[in-house]
Amino acid sequence: MSRLMHHLLDEAAARRPDGDAVRCGGDALTWGALATRAHGLAHRLRALGVRRHDRVAVFLAKGLDVSVAFYGVLATGGVLVPIDPKSPPQQIARILDAVDARHVVTEPRRAGALAAALALLAEAGRQPVEQVVGLDADGLDGLVDGLGVTPPACLPWSVLEHASSAPDVRVLEDDASYVLHTSGSTGMPKLIRHTHATARAFVDWAADEYRLTADDRLSNHSSHHTCFATFDYYAAARAAATTVILTPAVMMMPGSLSALLESEGVSVWYSVPTALVQLSLRGLLDERDLGALRWVLFAGETFPPKHLQRLRAQLPAARFSHVYGSTEVNVCTYFHVPSQSTAGGSDPEHEVDPESGGAGLPIGRPCANAEALVVDDELEPVPDGTVGELLIRGATVMSGYWDDDAKNAHALVRIPAPGGFERTFFRTGDRVRWLPSGDLAFGGRADLQVKVRGHRVELEEVEAALLRVDGVDEAVVVTLPDGEGSLALHAAVVVAERLQADPAAADGIVGALRTLLPPHAVPARVAVRDALPRTPTGKVDRRAVRRDATSPDTGETT
Amino acid sequence: MTTTASTAASAPERATLEERLLAFIHTELLAPGETITRDDDLLSDLLDSVAVLRLATYVDEEFGLTTKPQDFVVENFQSVAVLAGYVERARAASA
Repeated sequence: MSRLMHHLLDEAAARRPDGDAVRCGGDALTWGALATRAHGLAHRLRALGVRRHDRVAVFLAKGLDVSVAFYGVLATGGVLVPIDPKSPPQQIARILDAVDARHVVTEPRRAGALAAALALLAEAGRQPVEQVVGLDADGLDGLVDGLGVTPPACLPWSVLEHASSAPDVRVLEDDASYVLHTSGSTGMPKLIRHTHATARAFVDWAADEYRLTADDRLSNHSSHHTCFATFDYYAAARAAATTVILTPAVMMMPGSLSALLESEGVSVWYSVPTALVQLSLRGLLDERDLGALRWVLFAGETFPPKHLQRLRAQLPAARFSHVYGSTEVNVCTYFHVPSQSTAGGSDPEHEVDPESGGAGLPIGRPCANAEALVVDDELEPVPDGTVGELLIRGATVMSGYWDDDAKNAHALVRIPAPGGFERTFFRTGDRVRWLPSGDLAFGGRADLQVKVRGHRVELEEVEAALLRVDGVDEAVVVTLPDGEGSLALHAAVVVAERLQADPAAADGIVGALRTLLPPHAVPARVAVRDALPRTPTGKVDRRAVRRDATSPDTGETT
Repeated sequence: MTTTASTAASAPERATLEERLLAFIHTELLAPGETITRDDDLLSDLLDSVAVLRLATYVDEEFGLTTKPQDFVVENFQSVAVLAGYVERARAASA
């Protein structure tokens, strides 16, 4: 019996056909309804030519259709490629092109962004997309006129039929199931390929570890192109539980969010700490009954202790877990915050330094079936307690970056094992050390990857985007504390002479950046400078840029 | 998205209020070239969380309000038309 991702749907639908699978904004789909819709989509995609291993992009805002599209694509034997609904056209184009997606599942309100991406591709002589599901037959007409794009054939959601069973397709556990994307330092997103086996390893572990049952309601915060959504959607399916999709509107309004948590009876929460800090500060928790919330999982960055301590007092019935792992490994370590924790800030081991990533709570111990090694630059293990780079091996580790030998050679290292074999470890790039308790402590990054309110950002990617803006000659991006436990991006630029006296130059640069980068990667401030501070060796002095950005008298524009 | 003329509000004052909100959103929060109308959903696709906070700050400073967490909810910020209604109510309450 193979364990494939879309079997999760079949099993949940058999077990609890009338139970809710997904809920969003007052609408719901039962497991039975989700299965017949997803299978209908799968048959239609097969009829449109999707075959095993073919990549199908899913470009949808959060909503019930997301899960239909997920399982519909997986059931074809194809590879699901979810695209961040907030992606600017440039990023959409790069992803579609890199994975050579001939089919896209989308919706009318994303037609403009899709058309803009297709136009960019056409400009470069590329035309990967042949069929689009989710738009009327003329859904792209008018949007791509005169842009050199041959419009793909479009087909609206309304013509999709329901089907009682999935297409009969042979899929193996080590076939690719999905390709996720995160920030990449060159401006090209990193495309992370998971197989059915690596995804299921995480899903099955998480459902087990967090004791999910059919009565659970899991809130979905993150966009579906992230590994958070793997938990929210698929671990819920593993238990035939319910995923409550939070719309962006609700997530921006903590008072609305807490009201929804109460009315929906959310029992398991998984998000970045920022969302929880907002909930704690502005979520009117003393007016709400969140007694159903039994387990709060957080990941992505350090949880500032004072905020965590207050939140735990506000939610006394809930357990808290710090979950660690990049998209490449799903999750690889976890730490259940003890009920009588010293994490309140008095323990020097748990001091937080947001700039370095900080120690904060431990990231804990490796998940079942995973192994952690802490190594030096030569990939030799360091003594316990010494800081080194974390290597991870185990069932949840990705099969690799999509079509990128160089990145894979660097990130997936082979270490000899007895019998002439090798073991493959993923280099996390995270600096860690073993604590006497047997937990791992996080100690920052070895590169310029940072977390901005839980979003992974490579500073070089933002700098590369700045340099693509017309009139920007030099650029550097640094992070500063945002005052609420996370980091904000600050840019300093040197502009061409014609812009130097232009008071609107910084605003223009920010505007241009918004078309190149997802919103979380656009710096909060851009300062125009005559020159960038340099170290004696000529490198940009990031520390001086940071100091400069915090001094009150810089006359910066935002 | 295309610009359409604002639907006439019940009072000229209301129309002016909506125009001021629209002007702030267009110049400060949206990308160049992006346009919205009074009924567009601000919270689904258009504004991110930082932009919404800036909008709330603008409303407080511009109209002398103190938006409490109880008021910082979807029902008050969904669109320019809805937000103008909130501002009117809040001003009346504080007057």
